[in-house]
Amino acid sequence: MTVLTIDHVAVGYANSLIVEDLSVSIPKGKITTIIGPNGCGKSTLLKAISRVLKTQSGAVYLDGRAIHQLQTKEVAKRMAILPQSANAPGGLTVFELVSYGRFPHQGGFGTLKKEDYEHINWAIFVTGLNEFKDRSVEALSGGQRQRVWIAMALAQGTEILILDEPTTYLDLAHQLEVLILLQRLNEEEGRTIVMVLHDLNHASRFSHNMISMKNGTLIKEGSPEEVMTCLNLQSVFNIDARMTTCPFSKNPICLSYQLNQKNE
Amino acid sequence: MKEQTYMTNSQRKSMRKNLFIIGILCLLIVIVFMISMNTGFIRLSPLEVIQTLFGSGTEKQHLILFEFRLPRIIIAVLVGMGLAVSGCVLQGISQNALADPGILGINAGAGLAVMLFISFFPSTTAVPVFLLPILAFTGAGITAIIIYALSYKRNEGISPMRLILTGVAIAAGISSAMIVLTLRLSPDNYQFVATWLAGSIWGSNWKFVLSLLPWIVVLIPFIFSKARVLNVLNLGDLTATGLGASIEKERRVLLAAAVGLAGASVSISGGIGFVGLIGPHLARQLVGSRHQYVIPTAALTGGLLVLIADTIGRWILQPSEIPAGIVVAVIGAPYFLYLLTRIKD
Repeated sequence: MTVLTIDHVAVGYANSLIVEDLSVSIPKGKITTIIGPNGCGKSTLLKAISRVLKTQSGAVYLDGRAIHQLQTKEVAKRMAILPQSANAPGGLTVFELVSYGRFPHQGGFGTLKKEDYEHINWAIFVTGLNEFKDRSVEALSGGQRQRVWIAMALAQGTEILILDEPTTYLDLAHQLEVLILLQRLNEEEGRTIVMVLHDLNHASRFSHNMISMKNGTLIKEGSPEEVMTCLNLQSVFNIDARMTTCPFSKNPICLSYQLNQKNE
Repeated sequence: MKEQTYMTNSQRKSMRKNLFIIGILCLLIVIVFMISMNTGFIRLSPLEVIQTLFGSGTEKQHLILFEFRLPRIIIAVLVGMGLAVSGCVLQGISQNALADPGILGINAGAGLAVMLFISFFPSTTAVPVFLLPILAFTGAGITAIIIYALSYKRNEGISPMRLILTGVAIAAGISSAMIVLTLRLSPDNYQFVATWLAGSIWGSNWKFVLSLLPWIVVLIPFIFSKARVLNVLNLGDLTATGLGASIEKERRVLLAAAVGLAGASVSISGGIGFVGLIGPHLARQLVGSRHQYVIPTAALTGGLLVLIADTIGRWILQPSEIPAGIVVAVIGAPYFLYLLTRIKD
């Protein structure tokens, strides 16, 4: 089943289109990962999906309804976004920042209700931030801060999570922790997850569905087995990759690679 | 309350601390109020002030307090509140800690409108004072619309950085236009305009209080009701959109409210700079960055700052006066430099 449909979308900035005419659908209750080289339009596509950028033509549909015509607050109740680089204003505690995730559910002056506290405390707990609850966000390490932003997106309590490189700034163990957390949210609660990852092996290991992009166009979409092939990686990243199988997930992973010798 | 049981101890402590700070600021305003009542060419003791306030002073004391000092003090507090809250909003929507109505050219726009008016209708006593805030608001509003239009891009909306840079450029342009205009003013009007630009509370009677009060009473609570929106706008456009804030719409509405506050304040106080910058900064130092606390705290620090500045300005060179704006700058500039040394990248 499809939850998000990207239909002939063209999107970009003032004078330059980054993505021209891209169509793809995001399956409900699955983990979908977008991969591609720098500047291929992954983040731009994610911004179009999350209605941050208006599409210049085409549209993104959430359950069959054009996302730009929906009330932004209603969309925010169903879809949370973790942008690539987010700055916390000074003087906020972890709890306060995570509590901002309740914004679309609040009215008036924003006194937190029982339900809000439950979501916030749960999000802080699953991201392992309990002991930092009352610390200032500024005082945390990069990795801890990243988890605070993830916690904020989780506190939003949405069925769809959109994450732009959620594992940047994290060390190996913390990267895996975040991905396992996302996997758990997907398996146990059926949440749909759409993310951009730079690490191909992580993408292969944790995704049901992969989308590979280059120069703003879709190269190949499908299961990790279909996307993680020598041929496809060569055409997407221009690399000569040696593939093997992940001993943990049995998905194809890239053992090592070298730059493609042949000219394009 | 049931909800409170979910708060941790340290959250409760920080809430109590913030309310305590707000209480202290209110108390300070009352204290400076009493001092200010006692300041001026004719000295009244605190006891006489209290007696007069409760209606048992002499006729002369009554006249001094109620017709000269009280309206001026109230105006000082209101102007400070208006400018500080306006700065608070502008810093929020531009995501830039350096934004304030002065830097964005809004003060200059209001000033230009007032100045045009004065140079074409020289007798200020003859015009209804209610017109001045409207005039200043129009000037401020037109400036804001120009700045907004110039920094708007299709499909992207407003970039906070462009907003600031356009504001700075427009402010510089208007200031030079004003200098050209002063050349054709009569000496009397020039004197008035010069003092006005320096930021002096020139309109000190009840009419001015009444013309300023509605703006403050309507717009500050309105902005306060948008505290949550300002909180999420502070997280950046991407995050704010993801959380379901209609950023363009909210920005436009908040900008209009900030312009209204600044325009109305500036029309009566002239170009008091720094308050819009320092009020919110001080507030954030005191109560953190959640706007539910920052807005009331900024209003109080702003009010307090202008009240202190006006009191000092009236006292230091008696019987003549120094414009409050100059005193604010003298206090504010070193504090601002101190802030800059503390900013970490």
